[in-house]
Amino acid sequence: MDCVRLEYDVDGENFASAGNASESVKRTLKQLGVSPASVRRVAIAMYEGEINMVIHAHGGKAIAEIYPDHIGIYLKDSGPGIADIDLAMKAGYSTATENIRSLGFGAGMGLPNMKKYSDEMTIDSTVGVGTTVYLRIDF
Amino acid sequence: MNVSELAAKANYRIYSQGEDRAVEHGYCGDFLSNIISRAPDSCAWLTVMNNVNVAAVATLIDCACIILCEKVEPDAALAARAASLGIWVLGADEDVFGAAKQVAALCGV
Ligand SMILES: Nc1ncnc2c1ncn2[C@@H]1O[C@H](COP(=O)(O)OP(=O)(O)O)[C@@H](O)[C@H]1O
Ligand SMILES: [Mg+2]
Repeated sequence: MDCVRLEYDVDGENFASAGNASESVKRTLKQLGVSPASVRRVAIAMYEGEINMVIHAHGGKAIAEIYPDHIGIYLKDSGPGIADIDLAMKAGYSTATENIRSLGFGAGMGLPNMKKYSDEMTIDSTVGVGTTVYLRIDF
Repeated sequence: MNVSELAAKANYRIYSQGEDRAVEHGYCGDFLSNIISRAPDSCAWLTVMNNVNVAAVATLIDCACIILCEKVEPDAALAARAASLGIWVLGADEDVFGAAKQVAALCGV
């Protein structure tokens, strides 16, 4: 099926651009007339995934595939990977440093928020190789 | 009450401006994960965080304005990003609780 496909490089060194991919997808969905409630869910889930790539994985790629009734988001990085996904999914669990926390990140709510606001979420991660998160949000 | 009127009445500093919208809710918080998932649309967001990520989150939540409390000033990157995105950034002398009371009283939220 035809879809609108958007691809972004998420810069792992630059906090100033963190959130740009999510902002761009949000703007596109608004222009396509997707309901504000769905746009909001996408913005939350994708921002958390984008930020995780910046703070935990030295950046990566974000790909959004927009279909008439849903969006699929792929967040791919070549970072350290997640050793224990169940633990990482726990609300409040974070390995963020004090420095990262002082910027407002590291509440340990990113993965739980992504789960809560998406209709499907899969995490494919190998330690030392990287992580791919897939999110589907139905409109 | 619109953001410009709130700024004038509460005597807040204006660091950057955007669309002059009505403040319909309030939200206080510093952890970006809480803000992005909980802050309501068209809210005044009260915080002491002053780094550039605040601007990205403000755009994603569609808040009416950011109010930096306790005399916190935006850092250079936040000021630049907020100006380019057209986001209201105000500055209050009060702490978050005190500023929240002012916003609640003035905007009826
Ligand atoms: N893309 C990623 N690469 C490596 N580790 C990750 C990634 N995303 C999340 N994690 C790990 O999972 C933990 C929990 O993530 P999250 O719930 O988003 O909380 P936070 O980002 O606030 O630490 C992180 O602290 C980190 O250890
Ligand atoms: Mg996170």
